[in-house]
Amino acid sequence: MVESLQIQLKKGVLEMCVLALLSRGDNYAYDIASRMAEAVGMGEGTIYPLMRRMQNDGLVSTYLQESGSGPPRKYYKLTKSGAQALKSQISDWQTFETAVQKILGDAT
Amino acid sequence: MNRAHFMAQLRDGLAGLHHTDINDIVADYETHFADGAADGRTQEEVAAALGDPVRLARELRAEIGFRRWEENRSAGNFMGVVLALLGLATIDFVILLPLLCALAAIFFGLSVACLAFVVGGSFLLFNLLPFGWHGVMGNPAMQLLVGLGLISGAIGGGALLLMLMDIIAKLLIRYARLHFRLFDTANKSI
Repeated sequence: MVESLQIQLKKGVLEMCVLALLSRGDNYAYDIASRMAEAVGMGEGTIYPLMRRMQNDGLVSTYLQESGSGPPRKYYKLTKSGAQALKSQISDWQTFETAVQKILGDAT
Repeated sequence: MNRAHFMAQLRDGLAGLHHTDINDIVADYETHFADGAADGRTQEEVAAALGDPVRLARELRAEIGFRRWEENRSAGNFMGVVLALLGLATIDFVILLPLLCALAAIFFGLSVACLAFVVGGSFLLFNLLPFGWHGVMGNPAMQLLVGLGLISGAIGGGALLLMLMDIIAKLLIRYARLHFRLFDTANKSI
C-alpha cells in the first residue's frame, strides 16, 4: 500500500493537532472531528479510534457534562502527560520543519 | 448510506466485543449523527464524512485489543493483539502468518519448559520434608540447592519471557497502527 507523501505527513501530525486543539480547551468529538476534517481532510469517523488510542496512552481523559438539550456530552480533556507530549511534539516538528526548509530553500 | 445502515454495519463489525465497549462506541457515533443533524447535515452527508464503518470497526477493535493487552498480559489477550493485526494488515497476511505461528510455538515451548522446571524443583524440595523419601539425589544439601535453582531459574525465565512478549506486542501494536487508514473516504482529493 503506497500512500502519498501528503497522507503520510498528515498521519504523523494528526495526534499533535488534536492535542493542540485540546490545549486550547476541553472539547467534544464532533467538534474536534469537524475542525480536523476541515483543516487537514481527516475522515471524521477516524476521530473515535484516534481518541481511544490517545486515551489508552493516557494523553487525554474524558468526562461527561450535562448539555442544554439531549443526553450529557462526552468531553475530552488534555492530561498532564498529554500536555508534555504536545510540547515535545511541537519542538520535534519545528526542528524538522526548519531542517526541511533549509534544504528546500535552494530548490524553490 | 443512511444512519441506520451505517450503524448496522458498525455493529456487525464490532460483534463479539464486550457489550460495554460496543455500547460506548455506538453511542459515540449516534451522537455524531445527532450533532450532524443539529448542524444541518443530512444522514447521508454525515455517513460519507465518517468513512467506511467496517474499516472503523476494525480499527476500534484493534485499539480495544491493545488496551486489553496493556491491562492484562495474558496469552488470550496476546492472541487478541495478533488477530487485530491480521484484521488490519490483510495484505501482509501471507508473510506474517508463518512468522507469528513460529513465534507462538517458541513461546509455548519455553512456557512448558518453565513449568517443567517448577514441577521438577518442587518435587526435589518436597522430598526433603520429613515425610518424603529422601533418597532422590543422595545428598540432601545438593538436592535443596538443585531444587531451589530449578525454581528460581524458571521464575527468572518466565519473567524474561513475559518481558519479551511485551516487547513483541508493542512492536506489533505499532506496526498495526501504521495500517490505520485515517483519511479513508472522507476526502477523495488527498
